[in-house]
Amino acid sequence: MMDRLEKASLIITFIEELCNNGSWCGETHIQKTMYFLQHLTNVPMEFKFILYKHGPFSFDLRDELTGLRADGLLYLDVRPPYGPGLLPTPNAKRIRDHFLRTVRKYSEQMEFVTKYLGKKSVIELERMGTALFVILKTEMQNRSALANEINRLKPHVTIDDALIAAQEVDKMKTDFEHAFNTDIK
Amino acid sequence: MIKHIHEIRDPIHVFIKLDSTERKVLDSRPFQRLRHIHQLAMTYLVYPGATHKRFEHSLGVMELAGRVFDVITNPNNILSEIRDSLPEITAEKETSYWRQVLRMAALCHDIGHLPFSHAAEKELLPGGWNHERLTRELIQSPEMQTIWDSITPPLRTNDIVKLAIGPEEAPDLNFTDWETILYEIIGGDAFGVDRIDYLLRDSYHTGVAYGKFDHYRLVDTLRILPSSPSQDQKITYEPTLGVEFGGVQSAEAFLLARYFMFSQVYLHHVRRIYDIHLKDFLGEWLKSGIFPTNPTDHLTLTDNEIIAALRETCNNKGNPGFEHADRIINRKHFKLLYQRNPEDLLINPDASKVIFSAAIEEFGKERAKLDSYKMKGGLPNFPVILTDERIVPSLDLSKPLFQLPAEAIDYVFIDPDIFEEAKEWLKINRNDIITLKKIGGTP
Repeated sequence: MMDRLEKASLIITFIEELCNNGSWCGETHIQKTMYFLQHLTNVPMEFKFILYKHGPFSFDLRDELTGLRADGLLYLDVRPPYGPGLLPTPNAKRIRDHFLRTVRKYSEQMEFVTKYLGKKSVIELERMGTALFVILKTEMQNRSALANEINRLKPHVTIDDALIAAQEVDKMKTDFEHAFNTDIK
Repeated sequence: MIKHIHEIRDPIHVFIKLDSTERKVLDSRPFQRLRHIHQLAMTYLVYPGATHKRFEHSLGVMELAGRVFDVITNPNNILSEIRDSLPEITAEKETSYWRQVLRMAALCHDIGHLPFSHAAEKELLPGGWNHERLTRELIQSPEMQTIWDSITPPLRTNDIVKLAIGPEEAPDLNFTDWETILYEIIGGDAFGVDRIDYLLRDSYHTGVAYGKFDHYRLVDTLRILPSSPSQDQKITYEPTLGVEFGGVQSAEAFLLARYFMFSQVYLHHVRRIYDIHLKDFLGEWLKSGIFPTNPTDHLTLTDNEIIAALRETCNNKGNPGFEHADRIINRKHFKLLYQRNPEDLLINPDASKVIFSAAIEEFGKERAKLDSYKMKGGLPNFPVILTDERIVPSLDLSKPLFQLPAEAIDYVFIDPDIFEEAKEWLKINRNDIITLKKIGGTP
C-alpha cells in the first residue's frame, strides 16, 4: 500500500501529463482517465470504481481530489472557453519531486493513457469508460451484444456510439499490449 | 382504502405529514430507536442545545424528499428531453410508487446508526461493516419487510435500500438514471435533503446561525436537467439534479452554510476530542471491543445505555474504560496542542502527522491523540438552466461556488497534565519536526 503523499505524487503527475496532452483536466476527465490508468494499464492506484455518473466513477478518488485541494496541492482554474479544471500547485510539484522513483516506475503507463485520452471530450470518455467497465465486468466477446448492454445501462448512449466506443477500447487495449508486451485479461 | 394523514409539529418544517403506512415505519422498533440517538453525538458538551435526535431529523428528511419529488415531477417543470429519457417521470402509477419508496427510504436512511452516530464507526465495527450496511440489514429485516409487503402495491425492498444508501454503499445493485436521481434527492452531494435538513436543524439547536439558508427557494427551483460538463463539449444527456437560474443564490447559500457549519460546529476541536475519548471508552467497554452487527443486538443499544455506562464506569477506577469515561464525565479532555495551518502545509502536507508521531515518541503513546478529517464530496458543479433555456455549469456562473474552499482539519491533542510542557517542546522543535525529510514513502 502506498504512502498518502506517494499516491498524491502519482495523481499530481498524472494530472500534469493530462494537461500536457491537451486535457483541461476537469473532474470528470480525471475520473475517467484514472479508471483507464488503473484498469487498463494496471497501475495500482487502489480506487474503487462503480458505474455511476458519466460512466466509471470512484467516490474515493473524488474525495482524494477534494483532499488534495484542501492540502493546497491542487487548485481550481478556468481557462476559457473550457470549464473548471483541477491543476497542481507549485507546492504539489515540490512534493512530487520527493517521490520521483515511484513516479518514474509508472511514468510510461501515465504517458500512454494521457496521450491516448488527453484530447477526448467528456462524452467520448464516458462512452469509452463505460465500454471498458462492461468489458471487464462481463467479459462479453460479442461487440454488438456489448453495445446493447452499454445502451441498457446508459440509455443516452446510442447503440451505434456504444459500438464505436467498444472498438476504440479494443484498439487501445491492443496498442497497450503491443507497447508493453503484456496481455490484458 | 382511505389514507389517514398524521401531522407532527416540527421546529424546522412546522408540520410534517405522513400517511398510515409511513406511520407503521415510524412505530417500528428500528425507527423508534432513533429517539435515543443524538444527531450530533456529544456536541451537546460544547453547544448545550445540541440534544436533538436522529428521530426528528429522519422525519424532516422524509418531508423534504416528498417536497422535492413533487417539484421535479410537476409537468410544468419537466423538459421535453427529460420526459423522453425518463419514462418513470410521466407514468402516474410509476411516480406514485416511487414517491412512496423515496419517502420510506428517507425515513429509514439513518436507522443503522450506532450509538452517538458517526463517532468511531470504522474502529468499532467488524471489517466491511458501517452504518449504511446496518441500515440495509434493518430495511431487509422481517419486521420491516412486513411493512413493505402490506402496502399496495408492495414496495420492493431493494428499491428502498437503493434510495436509502445509494450506489457507493450498494455497489452490488444496479441503479437506473431515475434511481440515481432519486437517491441524489436524499443523499446527493449538491442538493441532498439529508444535508438540507441537518444544516437547518443543527443550526437551530446549536444556536449557530450560519447553517440557515433559503431552503424554500432552493427546493422550488430544483429541476432534472441534462448534465452539462462544459461549454466546449456537446452536452451529454445523462440526467441529473440541477437548478433554475433563480435558485443559484439559494444553492450558493446552502453550500456556504455547509462550509460554515463544518468550521464552526462539526469540526470544533473540543467536540472532536470527545469523540476520540468516547471511541477509546467503547473500545474497552464493549465486548470484544466492537459493536454487535446482528439487528436484535443493534436495536438494544442506544446513547442512553452508553451514557449510563459512562456514569457507572466513573464510580470505580478498576472498571474497564475508567480513564476515558472520567475524561468525558468530569471534563478532563485532552487539550489542543497543534492544528493544521497554511504556513506549515506549504512545508509538509503531513505536518500534523509527523508532529503527532514525534509527540508520542517524546511523551508516550497514551498521552497524545491525532484527529484528521477532510470534507468529502466533489466540486459544487451542477447544471443550471438559464432563462433562455441554455444549460450551463454552476461553476461557470457562480464565483462564490468557484471559490468555496475545501475544508479540512488536523488536530494533535495532548494530555492536559503535560500541556504546558508539550507546548514548550513543540515551540522549540516544530520547524525541525515538519521538514520534508520526515515524509515516508519511497524517496
